[in-house]
Amino acid sequence: MRRWKMQRNKTSRILRTMILAAAAIPSLILANGALQPRSVTAAQEKPGAITVTIDNFSFGPMQLEIKAGTEVTWINKDDVPHTVVSDDHKLFKSRALDTDEKFSFTFKDPGTYEYFCSVHPKMTGKIIVK
Amino acid sequence: MHPFNIREALLAKHAQHVVLIHFPIALCIAGVAFDFVAYWTKRSALATAAYYNFTVAAIATFPVVATGLLAWQFQLEGQKLKGMLLQHLVLGVASSAMICLVWYVHFRSRRAPEQKLPRYCLAIELVAMGLVALTAHLGGYLSGVNISS
Repeated sequence: MRRWKMQRNKTSRILRTMILAAAAIPSLILANGALQPRSVTAAQEKPGAITVTIDNFSFGPMQLEIKAGTEVTWINKDDVPHTVVSDDHKLFKSRALDTDEKFSFTFKDPGTYEYFCSVHPKMTGKIIVK
Repeated sequence: MHPFNIREALLAKHAQHVVLIHFPIALCIAGVAFDFVAYWTKRSALATAAYYNFTVAAIATFPVVATGLLAWQFQLEGQKLKGMLLQHLVLGVASSAMICLVWYVHFRSRRAPEQKLPRYCLAIELVAMGLVALTAHLGGYLSGVNISS
């Protein structure tokens, strides 16, 4: 009986520790998010470079006409992460861009290039290179 | 796409994670509600209802975690997560663990001779609810339900 009670107390202690740990996780995560400085990927701003702004879950401008050899830079102005991925998944593919992070790609060959955000596939854009 | 075409629905291009996640959230909330009402009214039928809600919620966490991890692998190609995505992952795993813990405490108490749910279980349930709410809030934000049209 005593042994059973001791075991129950031990289980209860373990459960209490787990509850405290579970309660501490969100606080730590929120504190980490608040203290962490927002890192900005350094994208080389070249003269004549074109910027596409990601805002309110859309690419702006959605369609762009540029000359071959132009560098396009996407900058995420949303609060949530987005990606920039070409339709063929091969030509260009950014990592998840947090707020104010940038991704650049130079379009060397003429053609029509469609792209999307892999986190939110309804977000699409088009680059026409002449 | 036809809404009743099973093949198209199962192989839809959208992430299944955002579809399946509603099951454990709803079942967990219903379970907590049943348990609190059972505690105040001392009606065992409600406690039994809570137990079954938590059982299905705990089972539902497995496909949800699996599809979440698969979405990370397929959509982001398993890249190192940070910021809101990492917070969502950590909170999601913690929420799932808490739902399973709540189910386990219920399961153990039902097998005990006195069949009485320990009081601390209600505290665990509240913590689990808090974690689920926080994870769901981040998930909704990530999926873009908050965008202005």
